[in-house]
Amino acid sequence: MGESGGIKKGLAEILELPKDIVLDLPKIIMIGNLQIYIENHKGILEYTNDRIRVNTKSGILCIMGKNLMLKNIVTEEIIIVGEINQVGFID
Amino acid sequence: MLVLKLWNYIRGYVIIRVEGLTLEKFINMCTVRNIYLWDVKRIGNTTLEAKLGVRGFKDLRKIVKKLGCKVSIYQKHGCPFWVHRLKKRKMLLTGAFFCFLLLIFASTFIFSIEVTGNEDVKKAEIVAKLNALGLKPGTNRYFVNLRKLENQLLLDINRLAWVGIELKGVKAKIEVVEKMIPPDTINKNTPCNIVAKKSGVIEKIIARNGDAVVEKGDIVKKGDILISGIVQLEPTEENILVHSHGEVYAKTYYEATKNRDLTEIKKKKTGQKVIKRILNLGNIELSFNKSEIPYEFYIIEKRSKKPLQWRKIGLPVEFITEEYYEAKKIRVTISEADAKNYVHKEALNDILEEIPFEAEILNTQVDFVVKDGVLYGKVIIEVLEDIVEQRILQIGED
Repeated sequence: MGESGGIKKGLAEILELPKDIVLDLPKIIMIGNLQIYIENHKGILEYTNDRIRVNTKSGILCIMGKNLMLKNIVTEEIIIVGEINQVGFID
Repeated sequence: MLVLKLWNYIRGYVIIRVEGLTLEKFINMCTVRNIYLWDVKRIGNTTLEAKLGVRGFKDLRKIVKKLGCKVSIYQKHGCPFWVHRLKKRKMLLTGAFFCFLLLIFASTFIFSIEVTGNEDVKKAEIVAKLNALGLKPGTNRYFVNLRKLENQLLLDINRLAWVGIELKGVKAKIEVVEKMIPPDTINKNTPCNIVAKKSGVIEKIIARNGDAVVEKGDIVKKGDILISGIVQLEPTEENILVHSHGEVYAKTYYEATKNRDLTEIKKKKTGQKVIKRILNLGNIELSFNKSEIPYEFYIIEKRSKKPLQWRKIGLPVEFITEEYYEAKKIRVTISEADAKNYVHKEALNDILEEIPFEAEILNTQVDFVVKDGVLYGKVIIEVLEDIVEQRILQIGED
């Protein structure tokens, strides 16, 4: 994240600004285990039926599950549907 | 999302299959170049299925060249493809067009005739006349002159006062109003008698023409001659016939008897109730509850709701809520005053309908008798009214 990242983080905390905007971090919303919504992603790294890896500013987001499908994909957001079992960040 | 799907359908989209080794890169390139992909599915190790707009598909070429993957169209969906397919089948289009034209043409013919408002004149008579005049099932609506037809129908059927013909779709609606035929009036030159319309006691007699036969105080029955049209001239003792007229006022009596039980069985709610909900769909009635009501006696309160109504147009849906209140029978005694009041009112209502508007009420008499728990009331009203009725003198009657 570097030094400027640290300053930004502190600033965001002091001013109570949303961190996803100030720090350019992904915003992830899950609906049960049916759907996951990732805003502010940096591209797809791997895509198979049971594993999807998405590049983000805070590392690689790895989603494991069954019958995963990219419902929607544009530059800003991804919507993944299917049976999601695991979500995690890998450095 | 339905709107989005519909929009995509209108614009047209294709389902593509991409074969290659770097499919993730393919997706990323698409997003970078603003090609909108949706419903991306992985089919095999090297294949991917995705939906894509028609315009996006054209932009895909550059990516395909760069990545060296194979793209094939699996399915085509949406309006543009339909249009394209229809362009090839021109005869189908012309057929549909002519079918539509034929439908419009067929709807310009009159299919049925409906007559409303007739009471004495038979529907068959009106329809037969209309058929003869050129309005029958099978006539084209643009070949009949409705105004002319209305006038002709009025002339042909004497008993009609007004005719309105309206074409509603394929139906001809004929509305008629019949003439009210006035009672026969006797010509002023025709000799006639004046007879009593009702029985009564003569109070006043004014003979404007003709000979008064009765005097004040006489009791006359219905049909008795009051003023005779046969006048005897004094000097010659010769009879001449005149058109007699005049006014004869007589006291007439109207009576009515009514009765009412002094005890009454009333239903009283006990507080228990069962609610039954019914849904009416057109003519179909759907009940949501058990149909049996567990009470011996009950009072029903019904409420209905019709959703989505606008003026008279609306869905033929009606929600009915019926509330069944359990009831007990209770014997209630009514005070005599109340019963008398009720009986009096009922009797009066009956009588007042019979009394003519011009009559003058002189006297009312009310008698009550209680017998076996039942109140009998008798109301007599004495009325002063004109009882004149003209009747033609039959020649050779005298």
